[in-house]
Amino acid sequence: MGARPPTLREKRRYILVSVEPSGVTIDRKDLYYAICDANTSLWGDETASVINPAVIVSEGQYVIIRCRRGTERELSIALLTITSCRDHHIALRIVAASGTIETLREKIKKPGTPDPDSTSLPECSFGEKLFQTEYCSGQKVDVIEKGFKNTNRLFLTKEDLEKF
Amino acid sequence: MKITDACVYPYPSGDSSVRRMALEARYLGFDRLVAPGISSGEFFGIEVSHGILLRDTPLKDLISRIRQEKNNATVVSVQAGDNGFNRAVIGIKGVHILRGIQSADKTAFDHVAARMAADNRVAVDVDLSPLICGRGITRQRAIHRYRDILVLERRFEFPITLSSHARSILEMRAVREIAGLCSLIGMDIPDVERGFTGIDVVTTIPNPAVRII
Repeated sequence: MGARPPTLREKRRYILVSVEPSGVTIDRKDLYYAICDANTSLWGDETASVINPAVIVSEGQYVIIRCRRGTERELSIALLTITSCRDHHIALRIVAASGTIETLREKIKKPGTPDPDSTSLPECSFGEKLFQTEYCSGQKVDVIEKGFKNTNRLFLTKEDLEKF
Repeated sequence: MKITDACVYPYPSGDSSVRRMALEARYLGFDRLVAPGISSGEFFGIEVSHGILLRDTPLKDLISRIRQEKNNATVVSVQAGDNGFNRAVIGIKGVHILRGIQSADKTAFDHVAARMAADNRVAVDVDLSPLICGRGITRQRAIHRYRDILVLERRFEFPITLSSHARSILEMRAVREIAGLCSLIGMDIPDVERGFTGIDVVTTIPNPAVRII
Protein backbone atom coordinates (compact mmCIF):
# COMPACT_ATOMS: atom_id res chain seq x y z
CA MET A 1 0.00 0.00 0.00
CA GLY A 2 1.51 3.32 -1.06
CA ALA A 3 1.87 6.36 1.18
CA ARG A 4 -1.17 8.57 1.39
CA PRO A 5 -1.04 12.11 0.01
CA PRO A 6 -0.20 14.74 2.66
CA THR A 7 -3.78 15.99 2.96
CA LEU A 8 -5.03 12.52 3.86
CA ARG A 9 -2.29 11.71 6.33
CA GLU A 10 -2.88 11.65 10.04
CA LYS A 11 -1.71 14.89 11.72
CA ARG A 12 0.92 14.27 14.35
CA ARG A 13 2.71 16.11 17.10
CA TYR A 14 6.07 15.41 18.68
CA ILE A 15 7.06 15.83 22.32
CA LEU A 16 10.65 16.24 23.43
CA VAL A 17 11.40 14.80 26.86
CA SER A 18 14.58 14.46 28.83
CA VAL A 19 15.18 11.30 30.81
CA GLU A 20 16.33 11.75 34.40
CA PRO A 21 18.67 10.80 36.01
CA SER A 22 21.39 11.78 33.57
CA GLY A 23 23.76 9.07 32.50
CA VAL A 24 21.18 6.28 32.51
CA THR A 25 20.79 4.59 29.14
CA ILE A 26 17.26 3.47 28.37
CA ASP A 27 16.38 1.10 25.55
CA ARG A 28 13.86 2.65 23.13
CA LYS A 29 11.68 -0.44 23.16
CA ASP A 30 11.61 -0.56 26.97
CA LEU A 31 10.65 3.11 27.09
CA TYR A 32 7.92 2.52 24.50
CA TYR A 33 6.43 -0.26 26.63
CA ALA A 34 6.64 1.94 29.76
CA ILE A 35 4.81 4.75 27.91
CA CYS A 36 2.13 2.38 26.59
CA ASP A 37 1.65 0.90 30.05
CA ALA A 38 1.30 4.33 31.69
CA ASN A 39 -0.98 5.55 28.92
CA THR A 40 -3.30 2.57 29.07
CA SER A 41 -3.35 2.57 32.85
CA LEU A 42 -4.36 6.22 33.02
CA TRP A 43 -6.67 6.68 30.04
CA GLY A 44 -7.85 3.17 29.17
CA ASP A 45 -7.49 1.26 25.93
CA GLU A 46 -9.87 3.42 23.90
CA THR A 47 -8.12 6.77 24.51
CA ALA A 48 -4.69 5.13 24.41
CA SER A 49 -5.42 3.88 20.91
CA VAL A 50 -6.36 7.41 19.85
CA ILE A 51 -3.13 8.85 21.31
CA ASN A 52 -1.11 6.17 19.52
CA PRO A 53 2.31 7.01 21.04
CA ALA A 54 5.63 6.00 19.51
CA VAL A 55 9.26 6.64 20.45
CA ILE A 56 10.82 8.21 17.37
CA VAL A 57 14.27 9.46 18.34
CA SER A 58 16.55 8.75 21.27
CA GLU A 59 19.61 10.96 21.52
CA GLY A 60 21.54 10.76 24.76
CA GLN A 61 19.19 11.70 27.54
CA TYR A 62 16.61 13.18 25.14
CA VAL A 63 13.75 11.27 23.57
CA ILE A 64 11.21 12.43 20.99
CA ILE A 65 7.76 10.85 21.32
CA ARG A 66 5.11 11.01 18.66
CA CYS A 67 1.36 11.24 19.21
CA ARG A 68 -1.75 12.20 17.28
CA ARG A 69 -2.38 15.94 17.04
CA GLY A 70 -4.76 17.14 19.77
CA THR A 71 -3.73 14.43 22.24
CA GLU A 72 -0.52 16.10 23.49
CA ARG A 73 -2.11 16.99 26.82
CA GLU A 74 -3.23 13.42 27.49
CA LEU A 75 0.15 12.02 26.50
CA SER A 76 2.09 14.55 28.59
CA ILE A 77 -0.01 13.72 31.68
CA ALA A 78 0.56 10.01 31.07
CA LEU A 79 4.32 10.65 30.74
CA LEU A 80 4.30 12.22 34.23
CA THR A 81 3.14 8.94 35.72
CA ILE A 82 6.15 6.99 34.45
CA THR A 83 8.41 6.26 37.41
CA SER A 84 10.39 3.28 36.19
CA CYS A 85 11.59 1.63 33.02
CA ARG A 86 12.67 -1.98 33.46
CA ASP A 87 14.93 -1.88 36.51
CA HIS A 88 15.71 1.83 36.32
CA HIS A 89 13.98 4.41 38.47
CA ILE A 90 13.43 7.30 36.03
CA ALA A 91 11.49 10.52 35.48
CA LEU A 92 10.55 12.07 32.15
CA ARG A 93 10.77 15.87 32.05
CA ILE A 94 8.82 17.42 29.20
CA VAL A 95 10.92 20.00 27.37
CA ALA A 96 8.80 21.04 24.38
CA ALA A 97 6.13 19.98 21.91
CA SER A 98 6.16 20.69 18.20
CA GLY A 99 4.73 19.67 14.85
CA THR A 100 8.11 18.81 13.41
CA ILE A 101 11.03 16.74 14.64
CA GLU A 102 13.52 19.30 13.29
CA THR A 103 12.26 22.02 15.65
CA LEU A 104 12.68 19.71 18.60
CA ARG A 105 16.16 18.69 17.49
CA GLU A 106 17.17 22.35 17.75
CA LYS A 107 16.13 22.32 21.40
CA ILE A 108 18.28 19.33 22.28
CA LYS A 109 21.27 20.57 24.21
CA LYS A 110 24.49 19.21 22.83
CA PRO A 111 26.58 17.42 25.46
CA GLY A 112 29.42 19.69 26.45
CA THR A 113 32.89 18.78 27.54
CA PRO A 114 32.86 16.46 30.56
CA ASP A 115 32.94 18.19 33.91
CA PRO A 116 36.51 18.03 35.24
CA ASP A 117 35.06 17.58 38.74
CA SER A 118 33.50 14.27 37.75
CA THR A 119 36.98 12.81 37.45
CA SER A 120 38.27 14.61 40.53
CA LEU A 121 35.49 13.10 42.66
CA PRO A 122 35.69 9.37 41.87
CA GLU A 123 35.11 8.47 45.49
CA CYS A 124 33.42 10.42 48.23
CA SER A 125 31.94 9.90 51.64
CA PHE A 126 28.46 10.81 52.78
CA GLY A 127 26.85 9.82 56.06
CA GLU A 128 29.93 7.77 57.08
CA LYS A 129 29.69 5.61 53.96
CA LEU A 130 31.88 5.44 50.90
CA PHE A 131 30.33 6.24 47.55
CA GLN A 132 31.37 6.06 43.92
CA THR A 133 30.59 9.15 41.84
CA GLU A 134 28.28 8.18 38.99
CA TYR A 135 27.49 11.57 37.47
CA CYS A 136 28.67 15.08 38.18
CA SER A 137 27.55 18.28 36.49
CA GLY A 138 27.58 21.76 37.97
CA GLN A 139 26.33 21.44 41.54
CA LYS A 140 24.74 18.04 40.95
CA VAL A 141 26.49 14.88 42.09
CA ASP A 142 24.92 11.43 41.75
CA VAL A 143 26.62 8.71 43.76
CA ILE A 144 26.25 4.97 44.30
CA GLU A 145 27.36 3.24 47.48
CA LYS A 146 30.53 1.22 47.07
CA GLY A 147 30.15 -2.52 47.15
CA PHE A 148 27.58 -4.77 45.55
CA LYS A 149 24.87 -4.86 48.23
CA ASN A 150 23.25 -1.47 47.72
CA THR A 151 23.28 -0.04 44.21
CA ASN A 152 20.71 2.71 44.72
CA ARG A 153 21.62 6.17 43.55
CA LEU A 154 21.85 9.06 45.96
CA PHE A 155 21.26 12.54 44.57
CA LEU A 156 23.50 15.09 46.26
CA THR A 157 25.23 18.38 45.65
CA LYS A 158 28.87 19.30 45.98
CA GLU A 159 28.08 21.25 49.13
CA ASP A 160 26.71 18.06 50.74
CA LEU A 161 29.97 16.25 50.08
CA GLU A 162 32.02 19.15 51.39
CA LYS A 163 29.95 19.22 54.53
CA PHE A 164 30.35 15.54 55.28
CA MET B 1 2.63 34.30 47.54
CA LYS B 2 5.18 31.57 47.00
CA ILE B 3 4.64 28.46 44.91
CA THR B 4 5.09 25.69 47.44
CA ASP B 5 5.38 21.94 47.38
CA ALA B 6 3.78 21.20 50.74
CA CYS B 7 5.66 17.97 51.50
CA VAL B 8 8.90 16.41 50.34
CA TYR B 9 11.07 13.87 52.16
CA PRO B 10 14.78 14.51 51.70
CA TYR B 11 17.61 12.25 52.90
CA PRO B 12 17.56 10.19 55.18
CA SER B 13 13.85 9.49 54.49
CA GLY B 14 14.50 9.69 50.76
CA ASP B 15 17.45 9.32 48.42
CA SER B 16 18.07 13.00 47.66
CA SER B 17 19.66 15.59 49.91
CA VAL B 18 17.65 18.67 50.83
CA ARG B 19 20.04 20.84 48.80
CA ARG B 20 19.59 18.68 45.71
CA MET B 21 15.83 18.77 46.14
CA ALA B 22 15.97 22.56 46.43
CA LEU B 23 18.11 22.74 43.28
CA GLU B 24 15.62 20.56 41.43
CA ALA B 25 12.67 22.55 42.82
CA ARG B 26 14.19 25.75 41.43
CA TYR B 27 14.50 24.12 38.01
CA LEU B 28 10.89 22.90 38.24
CA GLY B 29 9.50 26.34 39.12
CA PHE B 30 8.93 26.20 42.88
CA ASP B 31 9.75 28.91 45.42
CA ARG B 32 9.43 26.90 48.61
CA LEU B 33 9.45 23.35 49.96
CA VAL B 34 8.10 21.97 53.20
CA ALA B 35 10.25 19.13 54.51
CA PRO B 36 9.33 17.21 57.69
CA GLY B 37 12.29 16.62 59.96
CA ILE B 38 14.58 19.11 58.21
CA SER B 39 15.54 22.40 59.80
CA SER B 40 14.49 25.55 57.96
CA GLY B 41 16.87 27.29 55.62
CA GLU B 42 17.41 28.63 52.15
CA PHE B 43 19.25 26.61 49.52
CA PHE B 44 19.88 27.83 45.96
CA GLY B 45 17.25 30.54 46.44
CA ILE B 46 14.57 28.07 47.54
CA GLU B 47 13.11 28.46 51.00
CA VAL B 48 12.87 25.15 52.88
CA SER B 49 10.40 25.23 55.76
CA HIS B 50 10.56 22.88 58.69
CA GLY B 51 7.51 20.71 59.10
CA ILE B 52 6.26 18.02 61.41
CA LEU B 53 3.90 15.24 60.50
CA LEU B 54 1.97 13.71 63.39
CA ARG B 55 0.42 10.31 62.84
CA ASP B 56 -0.96 7.53 65.02
CA THR B 57 -0.82 9.82 68.01
CA PRO B 58 -3.55 10.01 70.69
CA LEU B 59 -5.33 13.35 70.77
CA LYS B 60 -3.92 14.28 74.19
CA ASP B 61 -0.31 13.77 73.07
CA LEU B 62 -1.11 15.54 69.81
CA ILE B 63 -2.24 18.68 71.65
CA SER B 64 0.87 18.80 73.85
CA ARG B 65 3.13 18.23 70.79
CA ILE B 66 1.43 21.05 68.89
CA ARG B 67 1.80 23.36 71.92
CA GLN B 68 5.56 22.78 71.81
CA GLU B 69 5.67 24.01 68.22
CA LYS B 70 3.38 26.97 68.85
CA ASN B 71 6.05 29.67 68.75
CA ASN B 72 8.19 28.10 66.03
CA ALA B 73 7.65 28.71 62.33
CA THR B 74 6.88 25.03 61.85
CA VAL B 75 4.26 23.72 59.47
CA VAL B 76 2.22 21.28 61.57
CA SER B 77 0.50 18.47 59.68
CA VAL B 78 -1.67 15.72 61.10
CA GLN B 79 -2.53 12.43 59.41
CA ALA B 80 -6.28 12.15 58.96
CA GLY B 81 -8.19 9.52 60.88
CA ASP B 82 -11.89 8.90 61.36
CA ASN B 83 -14.49 11.65 61.30
CA GLY B 84 -14.45 12.41 65.04
CA PHE B 85 -10.65 12.56 65.10
CA ASN B 86 -10.53 14.88 62.09
CA ARG B 87 -13.08 17.26 63.58
CA ALA B 88 -11.12 17.34 66.84
CA VAL B 89 -7.83 17.95 65.02
CA ILE B 90 -9.29 20.74 62.89
CA GLY B 91 -10.46 22.43 66.10
CA ILE B 92 -6.97 22.47 67.63
CA LYS B 93 -5.21 25.80 67.30
CA GLY B 94 -1.82 25.41 65.63
CA VAL B 95 -2.69 22.64 63.17
CA HIS B 96 -2.01 23.78 59.64
CA ILE B 97 -2.65 20.81 57.36
CA LEU B 98 -4.76 17.66 57.46
CA ARG B 99 -2.99 15.03 55.37
CA GLY B 100 -3.76 11.61 53.95
CA ILE B 101 -7.45 12.23 53.45
CA GLN B 102 -7.41 9.97 50.37
CA SER B 103 -6.50 6.95 52.48
CA ALA B 104 -8.88 7.76 55.35
CA ASP B 105 -12.41 6.46 55.78
CA LYS B 106 -15.00 7.55 53.17
CA THR B 107 -16.94 9.55 55.77
CA ALA B 108 -13.79 10.96 57.39
CA PHE B 109 -14.23 14.42 55.93
CA ASP B 110 -17.80 15.61 55.69
CA HIS B 111 -19.50 18.99 55.30
CA VAL B 112 -19.20 19.75 59.04
CA ALA B 113 -15.45 19.12 58.99
CA ALA B 114 -15.23 21.21 55.81
CA ARG B 115 -16.95 24.16 57.48
CA MET B 116 -14.72 23.83 60.53
CA ALA B 117 -11.61 23.72 58.30
CA ALA B 118 -12.73 26.91 56.58
CA ASP B 119 -13.41 28.66 59.91
CA ASN B 120 -10.13 27.53 61.53
CA ARG B 121 -8.04 27.95 58.36
CA VAL B 122 -6.82 24.37 58.29
CA ALA B 123 -5.81 23.16 54.85
CA VAL B 124 -6.61 19.77 53.39
CA ASP B 125 -3.67 18.31 51.56
CA VAL B 126 -3.93 16.92 48.04
CA ASP B 127 -1.21 14.27 47.88
CA LEU B 128 -0.18 13.81 44.27
CA SER B 129 1.86 10.64 44.82
CA PRO B 130 -1.12 8.26 44.33
CA LEU B 131 -1.78 9.98 40.99
CA ILE B 132 1.87 9.74 39.91
CA CYS B 133 2.96 6.40 41.32
CA GLY B 134 -0.36 4.66 41.89
CA ARG B 135 -1.94 2.31 39.38
CA GLY B 136 -5.39 0.80 39.08
CA ILE B 137 -7.74 0.91 42.03
CA THR B 138 -5.35 2.95 44.21
CA ARG B 139 -5.33 5.81 41.74
CA GLN B 140 -9.03 5.50 40.99
CA ARG B 141 -9.89 5.77 44.68
CA ALA B 142 -7.60 8.77 45.14
CA ILE B 143 -9.14 10.57 42.14
CA HIS B 144 -12.63 9.85 43.46
CA ARG B 145 -11.80 11.13 46.96
CA TYR B 146 -10.11 14.29 45.69
CA ARG B 147 -13.06 15.08 43.42
CA ASP B 148 -15.36 14.65 46.42
CA ILE B 149 -13.20 16.94 48.59
CA LEU B 150 -13.06 19.57 45.86
CA VAL B 151 -16.86 19.71 45.81
CA LEU B 152 -16.72 20.63 49.52
CA GLU B 153 -13.82 23.02 48.89
CA ARG B 154 -15.84 24.96 46.32
CA ARG B 155 -18.78 25.14 48.69
CA PHE B 156 -16.99 26.03 51.95
CA GLU B 157 -13.73 27.52 50.60
CA PHE B 158 -11.31 25.93 53.03
CA PRO B 159 -7.62 26.11 52.04
CA ILE B 160 -6.00 23.28 50.11
CA THR B 161 -2.32 22.45 49.63
CA LEU B 162 -0.61 20.47 46.90
CA SER B 163 2.24 18.16 47.77
CA SER B 164 4.25 15.63 45.81
CA HIS B 165 5.42 13.60 48.87
CA ALA B 166 8.56 13.04 46.82
CA ARG B 167 11.31 10.93 48.37
CA SER B 168 13.55 11.46 45.38
CA ILE B 169 14.14 14.19 42.83
CA LEU B 170 12.75 11.70 40.32
CA GLU B 171 9.36 11.89 42.02
CA MET B 172 9.22 15.68 41.89
CA ARG B 173 7.19 17.25 39.09
CA ALA B 174 7.23 20.72 37.51
CA VAL B 175 4.61 23.33 38.34
CA ARG B 176 3.11 23.16 34.87
CA GLU B 177 3.10 19.35 34.97
CA ILE B 178 1.28 19.39 38.31
CA ALA B 179 -1.34 21.69 36.80
CA GLY B 180 -1.89 19.05 34.11
CA LEU B 181 -2.02 16.29 36.69
CA CYS B 182 -4.55 18.22 38.78
CA SER B 183 -6.85 18.44 35.77
CA LEU B 184 -7.47 14.72 36.38
CA ILE B 185 -9.25 15.59 39.62
CA GLY B 186 -11.16 18.49 38.14
CA MET B 187 -8.92 21.33 39.30
CA ASP B 188 -8.58 24.23 36.89
CA ILE B 189 -5.70 26.73 36.86
CA PRO B 190 -7.09 29.09 39.59
CA ASP B 191 -7.66 26.04 41.84
CA VAL B 192 -4.08 24.89 41.29
CA GLU B 193 -2.77 28.40 42.04
CA ARG B 194 -4.75 28.38 45.27
CA GLY B 195 -3.33 24.97 46.10
CA PHE B 196 0.25 26.11 45.57
CA THR B 197 -0.23 29.12 47.82
CA GLY B 198 -2.32 27.32 50.43
CA ILE B 199 0.63 27.20 52.87
CA ASP B 200 0.73 31.02 52.96
CA VAL B 201 -2.97 31.10 53.83
CA VAL B 202 -2.65 28.71 56.79
CA THR B 203 0.64 30.03 58.20
CA THR B 204 -0.09 33.77 58.11
CA ILE B 205 -2.01 35.15 61.05
CA PRO B 206 -5.28 36.65 59.82
CA ASN B 207 -6.11 40.29 60.45
CA PRO B 208 -8.64 40.41 63.28
CA ALA B 209 -12.10 41.64 62.35
CA VAL B 210 -12.12 43.90 65.43
CA ARG B 211 -9.00 45.72 66.60
CA ILE B 212 -8.74 46.43 70.31
CA ILE B 213 -7.22 49.85 70.97
